[in-house]
Amino acid sequence: MKQYLIIGNSAAGISAVEAIRKDDKSSKVTVVSDEEGQAYCRCLISYYLAGDVRADKIFYRPESFYRENNVQLFSNKRVTGIDVKKNLVTCADNSQLNYDSLLISTGASAIVPDVKGINQKGVFVFRTINDAKGIESSLPGVKTACVLGGGLVGLKAAYALRKRKLDVKIIVKSKQILSQMLDNVAAGLVQKRLESYGIEVIIGQDAAEIIGDGKVKAVKLTDNKEIQCSLVVAGRGVSPNIDLAKAAGIKVNKGIIADSALRTSAANIFCAGDVSETYDLALGDFAVNALWTMAVEQGKASGMNMSGGKVDYPGSIGMNATEFFSLPIVSLGINKIKEGAQGYEQSQTLDAKNSIYKKIILKGNFLVGAVLIGNIKNSGVLLRLIRERINVSLFKDELLDENFGFARIIDSVKERERIYV
Amino acid sequence: MKQLYYKIKKCLGCKSCEIVCAVAHSASGDLFKALKEEVLSLPRKKVSFAKGNNYPLSCRHCQEPKCVDACMAAALKYDTEKKLVVHDKTRCVGCWMCIMSCPYGAIWPDAKVKIPLRCDKCQDKEEPSCLKACPTGAVAWEEV
Ligand SMILES: Cc1cc2nc3c(=O)[nH]c(=O)nc-3n(C[C@H](O)[C@H](O)[C@H](O)COP(=O)(O)OP(=O)(O)OC[C@H]3O[C@@H](n4cnc5c(N)ncnc54)[C@H](O)[C@@H]3O)c2cc1C
Repeated sequence: MKQYLIIGNSAAGISAVEAIRKDDKSSKVTVVSDEEGQAYCRCLISYYLAGDVRADKIFYRPESFYRENNVQLFSNKRVTGIDVKKNLVTCADNSQLNYDSLLISTGASAIVPDVKGINQKGVFVFRTINDAKGIESSLPGVKTACVLGGGLVGLKAAYALRKRKLDVKIIVKSKQILSQMLDNVAAGLVQKRLESYGIEVIIGQDAAEIIGDGKVKAVKLTDNKEIQCSLVVAGRGVSPNIDLAKAAGIKVNKGIIADSALRTSAANIFCAGDVSETYDLALGDFAVNALWTMAVEQGKASGMNMSGGKVDYPGSIGMNATEFFSLPIVSLGINKIKEGAQGYEQSQTLDAKNSIYKKIILKGNFLVGAVLIGNIKNSGVLLRLIRERINVSLFKDELLDENFGFARIIDSVKERERIYV
Repeated sequence: MKQLYYKIKKCLGCKSCEIVCAVAHSASGDLFKALKEEVLSLPRKKVSFAKGNNYPLSCRHCQEPKCVDACMAAALKYDTEKKLVVHDKTRCVGCWMCIMSCPYGAIWPDAKVKIPLRCDKCQDKEEPSCLKACPTGAVAWEEV
């Protein structure tokens, strides 16, 4: 009987299990994870910390999922090595597991910033439910929190802590918040919204030192100013967990290099999710798009291919939607034209008073990016134009119109229309 | 399995379907009372206009739903028995991933309640409310 082995019990791993079980009900499926228990929605840990989501609503699938899908789950078990010749993995407890087909969906880990004094009580990263629970239990008595980093995870942590009534200060090294997702106009609108809800955003400063006596007392900024605080959350991005693959001789760059079937360079080994580096449809180059949606779709495609399917994964794309204090945000593909890049054009509309901003980026007759703030209606249609590489010449000037939507692109999509008769 | 279809040549864009949809999803189910409800009920479908035609837009309950894959809270699920994409309000955090991923633009944010607005085919009724509301017979409810 065929043995499937999946390292990682999260978005990519679960979605691979579901894809495998669709085609193959009888083979053995084993999932190993070094986290505890059943899979949970990692992106919800900020909502959990904020008190928006109850602990029992954070699980990604019901507890019965593993039994119903006939999956053997080893949680709290860390894989330490892959022997690609013997088709075997070794775990920290010295046990070994063999495979006919292996998926590496080990995700990513939070980067711990290299700052003096970082290893003190009261300093946290924000990646796992245990991180969120750790922060939660440290809250009594905390008045002020500093968040290091103005990326999405930092901002979500800041939102959660603000909802818990703390004074929150976000320390952002670069010139704007959300620099991976937004341009400076959009970032400005979001920053204003955060500030109007009492979050202080400090731009262009870095933490030079975390001051304390084993317990955090203050953060010293690069301009030597000190901010008194007893909680620090580092949101300095993530790095893909590629160590296992690298040590096994599998081809890696920033992530594990995935081909269009999500195979790695080693036989019978696939990869998916935050750990993988895939062809990016908007960039036209390989990139790690460490996003929930990408992990799910890559997990699905890899699972189908592991169980004998022949699906082509056309590629990933940076895409994200979120909301801060009732300000919705969507970012698709390229969000700013790189200096000196040829052949791109952009257009935008801004209603600063109502915090509404829409921008699109085109390359010739193809949409390659969009940023939407305040009004995110029809963002799925724009995403479709990017992902399906639909020629937009027929409606290029209408893309930013309030009423631009699916009806306008019906004749340009490949699929046959069934709903309109 | 019955599906909603739209005969676009018959659609005049009067938006009666939108109004009836909003009322059908209100707490009272009554037009005049619905207007006074604390949380105003919004339509789950919209009529859009392009190239001389009107196109009523509503959730198609795709069999490979992109919104379900994108839902980072596992609030959206495909119910294989009912053949419907169903939404669990108690899990939804209003992150709008579903809106970003719907290839038809058939999900809208309810900014106040923080839930995505989608056609549920009036699950608890015999047939979708918009069916009878259409004065020209542009809405069809037929077996696939
Ligand atoms: C606070 C927060 C907010 C986020 N918000 C968004 C958002 O709005 N939108 C979005 O798209 N994404 C968001 N993300 C990112 C999203 O959570 C990730 O992209 C997604 O979880 C990736 O899934 P994955 O399965 O690839 O990996 P992960 O979720 O990282 O899971 C990896 C799994 O592998 C296991 N593992 C790793 N190494 C080993 C080993 N050696 N042995 C055994 N097990 C191992 C881990 O225990 C874990 O179970 C957010 C993340 C955080 C933390």
